[in-house]
Amino acid sequence: MTTTRLKLNLGPQHPSTHGVLRLLLELEGEKIISCEPDIGYLHRGMEKMAEKMTYIQYLPLVDRIDYLAGFFYSELLCRIVEQALCIELPDKVRAIRVMLLEMNRISSHLLWIGAFLMDLGAVSPFFYAFREREMILRYFEKLTGQRMMYNYFVFGGVRKDIDYLEDVEYIVSYLPQKLDEYEKIITENPIFLRRTEGKGILEPDTAYSFAITGANLRASGIDDDYRKSDYLYKGFDFKPIVLDNKDSWARYKARVLEIRESLNIISQALDYLKKADKLEQRLINPINLKLPQGDYSAEIEAPRGLACCFVRSDGQEKPYRLKWRTGSYYSVNLLRELLKGEYLNDAIAIAGSLDIILPEVDK
Amino acid sequence: MNWNEFQRVFSDCELDGNKIIIKSKLHDVISFVINNYTYNILKEIIAVDTADKGIELIYHLYSKDDEEDLFISIVVQDEAESITDIFESAKADENEIYDMFGIKFEGNEDLKRLYMPEDWKGFPLRKDYVQDDTRLAWNDNNEA
Repeated sequence: MTTTRLKLNLGPQHPSTHGVLRLLLELEGEKIISCEPDIGYLHRGMEKMAEKMTYIQYLPLVDRIDYLAGFFYSELLCRIVEQALCIELPDKVRAIRVMLLEMNRISSHLLWIGAFLMDLGAVSPFFYAFREREMILRYFEKLTGQRMMYNYFVFGGVRKDIDYLEDVEYIVSYLPQKLDEYEKIITENPIFLRRTEGKGILEPDTAYSFAITGANLRASGIDDDYRKSDYLYKGFDFKPIVLDNKDSWARYKARVLEIRESLNIISQALDYLKKADKLEQRLINPINLKLPQGDYSAEIEAPRGLACCFVRSDGQEKPYRLKWRTGSYYSVNLLRELLKGEYLNDAIAIAGSLDIILPEVDK
Repeated sequence: MNWNEFQRVFSDCELDGNKIIIKSKLHDVISFVINNYTYNILKEIIAVDTADKGIELIYHLYSKDDEEDLFISIVVQDEAESITDIFESAKADENEIYDMFGIKFEGNEDLKRLYMPEDWKGFPLRKDYVQDDTRLAWNDNNEA
């Protein structure tokens, strides 16, 4: 019997690639022999643009690196400036930022759950997840005026004092019961289990070698959460979610549990904010803002893995060089390894389980 | 990490905070650090065009056990040693640097244009890059 190998283009316009990603697959029958991801369809030159802009001009732009988790990237840029000018944040600003970051993480994970289940052919969880996500986005809109590109964190603090805390309180009390509902529909669902259990096994050594971070790494049994060493989260009590199953199912479960953990962090921040006085912060004047000469780097645990920002300043108003590290970029690279030997109909499920978002990959 | 021990093996280097500045033997240094200390993740490779000296490559390593970051910096001209045999993730980083800075990594066969079109000339993040591609609307007048 002779077998011919078939080259198949998956994407760039496939509905379940969460953006514009092209996977060049080599197939033998239905088995994937090799996978070559082709990225760059959404490249906007974020790093090049930074060199032409002052810091305050660049700040609204960074929300767009990952449009589902905009707060994380503005936090990183603010952190670079605050670190360079040795500014310490007041406790209230820290609590506000932590609360918004975790809400952003929940909205991002909710979208992922909906999209992942849709990849597997289940349409209704998509609507449920979007319904709950809408509540969070409505709150963000009320507070910042924007649903996705917030531009709310500024150098040294936040643009205005926190408000509408009763909305957050409602979300915190409402979401857990909805999560229970999801879990009843999804987690033990036999069809879902058959498509995810034991599929796309990610061994810890492979994960380290491919620089995988975030929930994907913790679903492979490694307890590595950068929030633990983050000064912003100092004083907050939470535990990283670690699962040992290493498969697509574990990556789903890890994110569901992470939402619950984030709700726990939000309620702690909320307790503090309800009692806190009026906001007092010392904002940095962005006009003529110059960072002292030197290298600065900051990192944060974003929903899709570790995000880093590196800035080299030559003492001018514009950064000399600015570099982003995003979690999804490494997850895309991992597809080469993870899809090898799997069947074509699992490819979408495995790629979906890694939570890849393409604007973040292409920068 | 033990700086004295490191300096005994590689004499031609300096320490600046948590950044080690080396002049050559990049592959040897990285594999020495991996084998002798607890560094197990290459978070990223940062490239900076220093304009006068060449391109500076900064390797950002992390040790989970000691929760410690380490930067290894080297200045290269147009070629550098590849470390893809040590870290798989370096493939992605090296490809990005090739695309943006035009550095060729010896030992990495998979280098190709990543973000830029395949027939794009020049490397955008270099300081001497001149943006004159006629496919862009604002460069219309360059060519009929």
